[in-house]
Amino acid sequence: MTGTVFDIKRFAIHDGPGIRTSVFLKGCPLRCEWCQNPEGIPLDPILWYFSSKCIKCGECVKNCPVDALTKGGQDPNYIEIDHDKCTLCGRCTDVCPTAALSITGEEKSTEWVASELLKDKVFYEKSGGGITLTGGDPLYQHEFSLSILKAIKEYDIHTAVETAMFGMEENLLKFVPFTDLFLVDFKILDNDKHKVYTGVENKLIKSNFERLSKKTENILVRVPLIPGYTATEENIINIRDYVYSIRADIRIELLNFNPLARDKYKILHKQYPTFQTNRSYSEEEMQSFNRFL
Amino acid sequence: MEVGFDKKLLGLIPKIEKLEPITRITQMKDIIINNERFLSLEQALIITDSYKRTEGKSRSLQRAEALSDSLELITINIDDDELLVGNRTVGIRDGVVFPEAGISWVEKEIDTLPFRAQDKFSVRNKDKVDFFEQIVPFWKGRTLEEYINTNCGNEISAISGVVKINQKDHAQGHIIPDVKGWLGKGPLGLLNELESHKSINKDHQKAEFYESVEIVLKGALRFIERYAVLAKSLAEINSLNDSKQELMTISNTCNAIIRRPPETFREALQSMWFLFVILQMESNASSFSPGRIDQYLFPFFEKDIKDGELSLSDALELLEALHLNFNKIVYMRNSEGARYFAGFPIGFNISIGGQDENGEDAANALTFLILKAQEHLGLPQPNMTARLYNGSSDEFIDTCSKVIGLGSGMPQIVNDESIIPSLQRVGISKKDAVDYGLVGCVELSTQGNNLGWSDAAMFNLLKALELSINDGVCLLTGESKGFSAGALEDFSSFDDLIDAYKKTIDFFVNKMMKAVEFVDRAHAVMMPSPFLSSVIKSCTEKGLDVTAGGAQYNLSGIQAIQVANVADSMAVLRQMVFSEKRISKEEFIKALRGNWKGYESLRQSVIHKVPKYGNDVSWVDRFGTEWADYFAHSLENFQNIRGGRYHMGLYTVSAHVPMGKNVGASPDGRFSGSPLADGGVSPMYGQDIKGPTAVLNSVSKLKSNLASNGTLLNLKFLPSFFTNKEDREKFNQFLRTFVELKIHHVQFNVVNKHDLLEAQKYPDKYKNLTIRVAGYTAYFTELAKDLQNEIIERTAHEM
Repeated sequence: MTGTVFDIKRFAIHDGPGIRTSVFLKGCPLRCEWCQNPEGIPLDPILWYFSSKCIKCGECVKNCPVDALTKGGQDPNYIEIDHDKCTLCGRCTDVCPTAALSITGEEKSTEWVASELLKDKVFYEKSGGGITLTGGDPLYQHEFSLSILKAIKEYDIHTAVETAMFGMEENLLKFVPFTDLFLVDFKILDNDKHKVYTGVENKLIKSNFERLSKKTENILVRVPLIPGYTATEENIINIRDYVYSIRADIRIELLNFNPLARDKYKILHKQYPTFQTNRSYSEEEMQSFNRFL
Repeated sequence: MEVGFDKKLLGLIPKIEKLEPITRITQMKDIIINNERFLSLEQALIITDSYKRTEGKSRSLQRAEALSDSLELITINIDDDELLVGNRTVGIRDGVVFPEAGISWVEKEIDTLPFRAQDKFSVRNKDKVDFFEQIVPFWKGRTLEEYINTNCGNEISAISGVVKINQKDHAQGHIIPDVKGWLGKGPLGLLNELESHKSINKDHQKAEFYESVEIVLKGALRFIERYAVLAKSLAEINSLNDSKQELMTISNTCNAIIRRPPETFREALQSMWFLFVILQMESNASSFSPGRIDQYLFPFFEKDIKDGELSLSDALELLEALHLNFNKIVYMRNSEGARYFAGFPIGFNISIGGQDENGEDAANALTFLILKAQEHLGLPQPNMTARLYNGSSDEFIDTCSKVIGLGSGMPQIVNDESIIPSLQRVGISKKDAVDYGLVGCVELSTQGNNLGWSDAAMFNLLKALELSINDGVCLLTGESKGFSAGALEDFSSFDDLIDAYKKTIDFFVNKMMKAVEFVDRAHAVMMPSPFLSSVIKSCTEKGLDVTAGGAQYNLSGIQAIQVANVADSMAVLRQMVFSEKRISKEEFIKALRGNWKGYESLRQSVIHKVPKYGNDVSWVDRFGTEWADYFAHSLENFQNIRGGRYHMGLYTVSAHVPMGKNVGASPDGRFSGSPLADGGVSPMYGQDIKGPTAVLNSVSKLKSNLASNGTLLNLKFLPSFFTNKEDREKFNQFLRTFVELKIHHVQFNVVNKHDLLEAQKYPDKYKNLTIRVAGYTAYFTELAKDLQNEIIERTAHEM
């Protein structure tokens, strides 16, 4: 079967044990204001432009059959893309000599993804690593995700799924036999705030978490620290108390804030939120957050 | 202390971990590094006088007498606080003029030596006068350099675009002497042994060789004795009790190692250091490498520790003193050499860890103590190499990683699992192969029995490709290089191109071999090395100088330059020109001839639209493998004049820059004259965009078995990898996988603030720099400038 993949990153070392390869799958039902991979939210592919690679040759504009491209825009969008007009025909990416234009999100087969993942098999074996499905949210393309997990499990490779658990319970539970570790994201415990900042309520997330935690013990809860949003003493303590009330043996990990996604928002013409701070937390700050756990 | 079952004293590791830097060593370090360096003419004058005195004798005897005179007459001194004495000049890090090998560059550059950009040396007026009045006139027509120039200069320069012939103006280095034998027997023991060999081999030439060896060994004893006397007399006039005692210890140590083999750790270190000083006085060569010091010094260390004669901190102090000494001798290069090999990489390469002859982990307490010394000092020398294999302990790997993270690039990591079989393939016994060490930078050698001649020549495969697609005409000069197998326009298929390339390589390999042979022979004629011969196994048994084939193993290494550029160029030609036909052959060669002028868009497509070596793309990597194989096999048709085999290396160290200057615009998108890929088997800078696991996979496809002369891979990592324990654990696992993948060598550059600033300026070269964050990855060069700045600040902070 096939699905939409927007990136494959090898030597991923912060998404599960050992040395891993992460598959970024498109599509996510949440709309977190701080999302670090906003290009992964919609299921459809998008034409994507990196100004730092562009040599301003104008070939793309000349070759676009539907006039979706114009040049001379403001940095970082020297090439302006009219996404409504763009048909993703790929002419511009073919003629672009520097790959400044690319289509993010390609339809790939399970076999293709598996063969990419198997390339680093020896690293997984030596490091106790494996593969991680992330995104977007792997639950969004759950059938495709499941097919990848099954294909990889044939080779006895460790699998991890990173998910916000906002989806149908039965689809999530189908992953269980083929997943060695669930990296579940918990952002905000307060339901109202969750709705405001992520676009959805967290009731479904909670009930899925509760069900999942009955089916498997291989869960790591991860809380992204977003300044002014999730990175508060109250929120962290609330999540901790909640998680431990479900299962006391589940580990919780705080993920440092990553301020590097800003440019992606500009490219997508999206508003990047104003955060209290624009840097990652220092080691000391992380330590003090960790004290709440 | 419990040491009953701990044969390697590994129980000491927790104590070693805690050892603090030593003030006295740190002070001496500052003096060594900041000391003003002078050109030194003293030995040149002694040698010149000696040659005048011995006029008419054989070159071997003249060289022996000249060394003996130097050992007798050179001014010696003992610096304050010095623990291990002995140097070949009074000044620390002085640049020795060495007339027997060649001085034409000094003649040209003596005025600019104090002012050149890299590795300056001050020149005293008197020395300059003496140089022109006494040295230059006498040595006209008597140097190795002139001998080669006169007899083979034309042949060497005819192939110079493609082949760089080395060893033309200095004596042979890149050798690990038999330190174990030297320590076991002492110079006196070697002299006694000589007698028995002498009685068996009685012909004239052999008698002359033995006479030479006898002269230099006696000279060596005399040299050490002079230090014993000097230390004693300094002790007598010294009023400080502590200094007095230390000087007496030095004197007693020197006296002891004259009379008998060393027995203590201190005596062993002192004796070993004298060996290297004297080797340098005989040859002034790059890279006499100590090899596996953690193995042959361990018995001395163990005995002293067990007897309670030596504390760990005293042992560390002595070791660090040795590390300092490795920085006291430098090799003065010409300005071109200094530009690319700045900072005096003299190649005191020490190899630690690895396995013993039973396949057991050889790392012992001394191994860890050596790493501690590196952690404290972080000096350019010794060049430190850690041998890993499947059985290496987690503790050893993690300690190496911590030291690597400090940013000195050391230890570099090599792999027993691939190196041992590759050495066996060129005829080295299992026992000797297991006991290998590195010489110079990354060259592979056995210990104490091998004239490996690691750097006979460098063969520029990319230049050969240039000539293959341009009618044998150099793109830089328009000059015909004497052989044509056609031009790109003429090839009707990619296979035609391959045929032409093979013919071109064959043509230049044949020419190269003649020149290499001549240079090899020239060393036997002009640079016999009796002292070195006394510490290379089987020379004295055979009665044959090491330069004449006396060693047990006689290899010659030739480097193929540079896998990445060849693979990338071939991939571009095949995909864009022959397969997709995006551009015509005529147009493509025109673009190269014009150095891409007017073809920037094409050049960008070449860079971005064709996959490159280093990204784990099989069909591209295969080109690298195929051409390295072809070259390696083409060497196998030849035998060197010492009766040994030629074998291939895949490294340039820094020569990728000057080698690149020789090559016009290349099909991989490279501009004319710009550097080639670095290291040896590294991907072209910026082209490895799939991360380090993909790089290792690509490199592992090369048959390291065929590269038994050594390979070099550079990888860059951010410092956070090493400071954070969890990340470092992943790095350690990465190293274990490197071992599994059977790659010979990898060296890690820890990216610093300067690198990142460069990346901001030249994004093309740093496309591979990845910022790793959970659930997210970005390339550094794709970030906006202020975000880049943020990372730069953070990185600077971490350093």
